[in-house]
Amino acid sequence: MKGIDFEIQPGEVFGLLGPNGAGKTTTVEILEGLRPRTGGEVAVLGFDPDRQRQQLKDRIGVCLQATNLPEKIRVHEAMQVFASFYGRHVDLNKLLQRLQLEEKRDAFYSTLSGGQKQRLALALALINDPQLIFLDEPTTGLDPQVRVEIHSLLEELKREHRTILMTTHYIEEAERLCDRVAIVDEGRIIALDTPARLQQQSRNASSIAVTCATPFPEDRPAWAEAIHSALDCSGRTLTVNSRHPAGTLVDLVKWIDQQGLELTDVSLKQPSLEDVFIELTGKSLRE
Amino acid sequence: MKAYKALIALDLKLALRNRSVIFFNYLFPLIFFFIFGQAMHAERGATMTIVISMVLIIGILGNGLFGAGIRAVQEREANILRRYKVTPITPAPLLFASVITGWILYMPNVLLIFTLAHLLYGMPWPQSMSSILIFITIAIVGFRAIGLILASVVNSMQESQLLVQLIYLPMLFLSGATFPLSMFPPWLLVVTQFVPATYMVTGIQGMLLRHEGLAANLQPAMALLLTAFVGLFISYKLFRWEKEEKIRASAKLWLAAVLTPFLLLGLWQVHARTGIAKTKVLNRQLARSDTFLIRGARIFVGDGKVIESGSVLVRGGKIAEVYEGDGPDPKALNAETVEAAGKTILPGLIDVHMHLGAPGGFYPDMSKYATDKSMLRSLAAYLYSGVTTVRSVGDGLDTILKVRSIVSSGEMLGSDLSTCGPLFTAAGGHGTEYFKDLPATVRSNLERQFTRIPTSADEARQQVDELKKRGVDCIKAILEAGAGGRVYNRLDTGLFDAIAQEAHADSLPLSVHTGDVRDVADAVQAQANSIEHGSFREKIPDALFDQMARQGIFYDPTLSVGEAFKDFAAGKTDLLKRSLVQQVGPPELLRGTEEAMGSAETEALRTSLAQYPIDMAIAIDDLTRAHQHGVSLVTGSDAGNYLVIHGPTVQHEMQLWVRAGIPQAVALQAATWNAARLLRADTRIGSVRPGNDADLLVVDGNPLDDITATERISLVVFKGERIDRTELFDQH
Repeated sequence: MKGIDFEIQPGEVFGLLGPNGAGKTTTVEILEGLRPRTGGEVAVLGFDPDRQRQQLKDRIGVCLQATNLPEKIRVHEAMQVFASFYGRHVDLNKLLQRLQLEEKRDAFYSTLSGGQKQRLALALALINDPQLIFLDEPTTGLDPQVRVEIHSLLEELKREHRTILMTTHYIEEAERLCDRVAIVDEGRIIALDTPARLQQQSRNASSIAVTCATPFPEDRPAWAEAIHSALDCSGRTLTVNSRHPAGTLVDLVKWIDQQGLELTDVSLKQPSLEDVFIELTGKSLRE
Repeated sequence: MKAYKALIALDLKLALRNRSVIFFNYLFPLIFFFIFGQAMHAERGATMTIVISMVLIIGILGNGLFGAGIRAVQEREANILRRYKVTPITPAPLLFASVITGWILYMPNVLLIFTLAHLLYGMPWPQSMSSILIFITIAIVGFRAIGLILASVVNSMQESQLLVQLIYLPMLFLSGATFPLSMFPPWLLVVTQFVPATYMVTGIQGMLLRHEGLAANLQPAMALLLTAFVGLFISYKLFRWEKEEKIRASAKLWLAAVLTPFLLLGLWQVHARTGIAKTKVLNRQLARSDTFLIRGARIFVGDGKVIESGSVLVRGGKIAEVYEGDGPDPKALNAETVEAAGKTILPGLIDVHMHLGAPGGFYPDMSKYATDKSMLRSLAAYLYSGVTTVRSVGDGLDTILKVRSIVSSGEMLGSDLSTCGPLFTAAGGHGTEYFKDLPATVRSNLERQFTRIPTSADEARQQVDELKKRGVDCIKAILEAGAGGRVYNRLDTGLFDAIAQEAHADSLPLSVHTGDVRDVADAVQAQANSIEHGSFREKIPDALFDQMARQGIFYDPTLSVGEAFKDFAAGKTDLLKRSLVQQVGPPELLRGTEEAMGSAETEALRTSLAQYPIDMAIAIDDLTRAHQHGVSLVTGSDAGNYLVIHGPTVQHEMQLWVRAGIPQAVALQAATWNAARLLRADTRIGSVRPGNDADLLVVDGNPLDDITATERISLVVFKGERIDRTELFDQH
């Protein structure tokens, strides 16, 4: 860890985005009080996780990445046992209902599907009505449709204005769920902002693609704010990158009209977080 | 508190849903229970107590090492503990729940096994079930703590399996849990004292067999509790929630720390040896719990009655039943059969007069003679010879009491010892001559041990009372003025009367050594309980015998010592060549005595003894008339004197009597029933009657026809144990 410095506001969903080994889990474990820090200052809900571990743990909910429950524990038993660990807990039946685990309340843990296990993990993280929820890679290793299922549950939490710190290496998860995202690489935060602003800040601008019925002429003007343009091999589709795509698009369409070309298609593409990440780190997120 | 309860409830549910837990906790012990039960004939005697202790220990070991240890590692390896780590709980409720769950799961098993033992094998309910349950509880907590600390110091499942086996196997095989400790050689018994499980086995067996309470097992209970506390504390400190957290290899030394209480206990036991003694006592008790039927033999009951063909049922150390004919089917009695057609069953013989600390001859190097060891060996020699009770009438008090407690506890096998301790005599009286030439300090110490020399009636009474308090069984006084160049100060009659009165007041039988008629008369006058020796030089008047008969005073002629003194003076060693003497006599002693007889050193002794008046004709005549006048006779040998070797003494005394014309039956009754009455032990020994101790001598032939048959020993039964006579001397 070289430079991690951030603050999470109440009711905010904060994402730590980065590749494996970037330092996300280490950061989260320090915050959860699972791992002592070697330096720096940390306050979580006003507590020092190193020294006020029990108070802190009583107030947070955690959904760990690699964890397990005994095979022969029933869903409702797991809920009861974990409820007994905390100073207070929510109504267990309502929680089961909410996480659609009612039908499975008497099922053994070993008989649950991956999605059900993850829903149970979320239930356990919510059992003490936590002031802060840590979700460490909440959808890693899940099927796409299960991931969608979990996402909708998380969106629900977001709507309740829960304070959540999540780590992920899924860009779309961060885009979809997080209010703010910190991009972590090699133990340091290299960017921190809302997903939208991160996209905007990207030097790598939006791209405009125009397609005509006949090939473009060889010499083309330099449009305002356009960074780069390229023709595809057919010569009929031109891609232009721009920091101000709206203005550039108007200029571009005007020029096509002047040239007497017949415009058949126009598309405008916003940069993704992945693009931002690749641009910032020079690495891919999913190796 | 909520978390403790919830985790205990969860652990219990998970355990009950786990087939292997059910199997190892309940089925596995039951399998052992029935296998051991069948193989060891648990329906006989107290064998069930061995089976029960074995099964319980196997269960407790498994419960602790596998149930607590391996499971804790599994939970860590499966990332289950990791999930608990992010909750506010500490390791305390997890460790606590593991211990409590183990206990709750195990206890029904204990009750089940006791119930089965009771219903199927007829084991009586233990006297203090609560002591047993508390002891087992402590054991479970202790072993679960060992299991948990083990889990705390290993880094992987493989490591834990290896370490568990390293602890489990020695505990299993070296504790008596799988092989009875009676099979172990002495050096291995020492090793067992370092194994915690040994104390479980001996503790439970002690509670079942000897009705011990928790107090008798305080040492191991405390050691286990200490192990539990240290183990749980260190487990708490070293607790790891994640498999990724590794612990350095040196942490395994903590395991040694937890076992330290037992290392210390073991070292203490190597010194104190109480644990090994207890093991031996337990083995003895088990051997004495046997049930068998000796069938088809002639039975000399002891009180004069003879059953020409009968059977004796021995059970739990006692004569359970005496039958005419073959008796019931032994199978129905759960008894082993000992066929004894053509043999005679006698009560174990009793020698009422001997000095256990005196060797009966000369060792080549007397400086190596250790009195206590020699005493124990001599008691084994008596038992070998079927003389199952002996009375010491003059021995060092501290040593003889120590030896008596060693054999009476069963720690060592030897005949029952009854003792008068020191003898009452005058300053310069008979009994003091042995110490006369020793340095003053040594002499005063020996005199304190061997003699009581009162100077006033009050002191005499006080000395009797003190001996009573020390636990002697009788009082011995010397009335002897000596003769033939050996003269002694005779005990003052006033003092003697005081001794006699106090002995009666204290209910201690009074035995009086007499040398001449006056001594006998004074002893009879003082209501002595037995006249020892009578006289080898004066004819005892008929009137005195009549008086003895009326007063019920026993007459112990000790012909053996008279004969031996004559032989000794004449340089004859025939007495050492009797085959039973050759079997039981320490080879060094026999050789040393033979050699000494030819040496100049004993020459003076022999010359002096030759002048001492011993007239066997007078002694025989006295004996014959005592019998004719209806005096109750008893057999004493005065063994320990030259050429009277401890062992087959009573047989030889009886032979001398029969040679003198005493009927065999009279001699046999003197050696059994009469002697038991003199010892006031006739409700326990001296006759073949139900309820008595099973002390039996089974001989080939019929001693009622031929008294030497008593030397043709077929079997010695002592307190219900069929004595393995060949191994008697291995214990020394």
